[in-house]
Amino acid sequence: MSTTILVVDDEPRYVRLMEANLTSEGYQVLKALNGQEAVEIVAESHPDLVLLDIMMPGVDGFVACERIREFSNVPIIVVTAKGEERDRVKGLDLGADDYIVKPFSATELLARVRSVLRRAQNSGSVFQQPIFTHGSLRIDFARAEVFRDDKMIFLSATEYRLLLQLARNLARILPSEQLLSDVWGSEYRDDKEILWVSISRLRQKLEEDPKNPIHIVTRPGLGYTMPPLQESN
Amino acid sequence: MQTTTKYKDKTNTGHLRPRELEAVYAISHAVATSASIESALEDITKIARPVFIFDTILLYLPSSGDLLEPVYAKVIGRGQSSDGDLAWGEAIANHVFTTAQTLLRQEEQEGWQTNRLKQRFFLGLPLRLGEMTMGVLVFGRFGGPPYTAEQINLAEFIAVHIAQLLGHKQLVDQIAKLEAERRLDRLQHDFIATVSHELCTPLGFIKGYATTLLRDEISWDAETTREFLAYIDEEADKLRELIDNLLDSSRLQSGTLRLHFQPMRLDSLIRDICVRVNSSSESNPIILDFAKSNVRCTADPGRLAQVIDNLLANALKYAPGSPITIYLDASLDKAFIEVKDKGPGISQEHIEHLFKRFYRVPDGNTSVRGTGLGLFICRQIIQAHGGEISVRSTLGEGTTFHIVLPLTQLKPVTSLSLEEKPT
Repeated sequence: MSTTILVVDDEPRYVRLMEANLTSEGYQVLKALNGQEAVEIVAESHPDLVLLDIMMPGVDGFVACERIREFSNVPIIVVTAKGEERDRVKGLDLGADDYIVKPFSATELLARVRSVLRRAQNSGSVFQQPIFTHGSLRIDFARAEVFRDDKMIFLSATEYRLLLQLARNLARILPSEQLLSDVWGSEYRDDKEILWVSISRLRQKLEEDPKNPIHIVTRPGLGYTMPPLQESN
Repeated sequence: MQTTTKYKDKTNTGHLRPRELEAVYAISHAVATSASIESALEDITKIARPVFIFDTILLYLPSSGDLLEPVYAKVIGRGQSSDGDLAWGEAIANHVFTTAQTLLRQEEQEGWQTNRLKQRFFLGLPLRLGEMTMGVLVFGRFGGPPYTAEQINLAEFIAVHIAQLLGHKQLVDQIAKLEAERRLDRLQHDFIATVSHELCTPLGFIKGYATTLLRDEISWDAETTREFLAYIDEEADKLRELIDNLLDSSRLQSGTLRLHFQPMRLDSLIRDICVRVNSSSESNPIILDFAKSNVRCTADPGRLAQVIDNLLANALKYAPGSPITIYLDASLDKAFIEVKDKGPGISQEHIEHLFKRFYRVPDGNTSVRGTGLGLFICRQIIQAHGGEISVRSTLGEGTTFHIVLPLTQLKPVTSLSLEEKPT
């Protein structure tokens, strides 16, 4: 099966440029003109590599990169028109594997693609889990949507990130300090009350019986966990 | 004879009589609701005067260095007829400012027994905010009696409030200054980001497609080669246009953009442009609606063509698929041009900024490229012809640009040196 590459750019002319060069090398090319489309294609079509432009209207490349990383470790090369260091650093911090700065030559583009694909092949497993279920709870990472018994639940951005941390660390006990640093930032690591409030709000929204939670369980003195259920994947 | 004494009141610890208490409340209220220091002082004068008599009230603030300058002065009652031939208490003000203490000063000049204006009682109060002395408030009274402890307490209360008002005003001024600096910073930052993006985009295409064609290991078919070369050609044109706009804009700023006035026909100019644009854009038909033919004027044809071109390019960019109507009419001394599209329109909040340098309507659609220079340049060119350009737009219905242009140039301007108004 040939290698599939998703090309994401709001300028059709850039998409055409990358497509022409990549297909000439035997790669299959998928195309997206914005970040949201890119996240959905990654979830549905499992490409082997994503070439992701940063400056796009709506869901930009940074946001798309962060969203993709919530459910997939597909290699990502961010393509940026800005040569600014902080953009490259931000891209890498959000989980991109490499970056390429516009303007670039066709040969440079192809060399980067080969190098990132080679590294990915050596490192082995690619995980993609666009949908996560835990009992009656379902999280669609690609769309950042949460369902309880197929009914959509509206979560704040903080609540969603908190739930994501617990879901991604299924069965692991996460200490309060860690959750606070990961979700709110390290300066909040001692503000336990804010975590209590958010956990309680999440339980109200997600649990059938918030007093006897099954999705978010407190381990006194240790932290919080999403315990494994029989039917969870 | 002059005596200055430090005011120290140990006996009276702020017990106010009902009349003074009432004044205290009224002053607090006046200060809290006043729009400026001056209006607060006007109100305070009215409220305090029945409680204790004073003939002059002065506010001194440091100007350059530590030099005090009067910024507010008022004469009430005695002394009003003396035409400013008054002692205003400059000496006590300086003394209070350096010591930061409430001082009393009595001056008696020769003949004071018969002319009360020559016997002066001054009360100087430092305006303190924390450790800082921000200025001095001076009350003057001609011919006694000396100030009582209660009156001095009330005056000190007034001084505290004035100091707070000054502190507040200083903060407001500082915030406004910082805001202005921040706005300028943001504008410059946005401009640099836009220009670098606008320059890099065509450059990126040229580099990308040229290196694609140059790849040794692959030979592209003729059709693809032609497609890529056409992109390179178009992007080079865009780059040139952008550089021209940047140069025009900086020439307009420095006043070195030269206009070459000559007799010309407006209708022919517009017709020529339309033929050219129509041949390259099939999606937006251009309709000419000329109420007059043969409209002669004196103008710079190259620059006017640049304006019409720009308006048409905007309509093609922002109202894709919409028909564009160009209307032309003329009176005895003026020509009227309208460029009208039936696109999505521009919301009212952006209309007033549309002709400002670097302004772009933030529609979140970065795929429509532009620097925010085009309309700025258009307005400058039209104004240099002695004309005016304006815009009217209704959301969902479309946008119309109006140009009024004088047919003759009384005093031809040969170069533009128009100051850009601060945005």
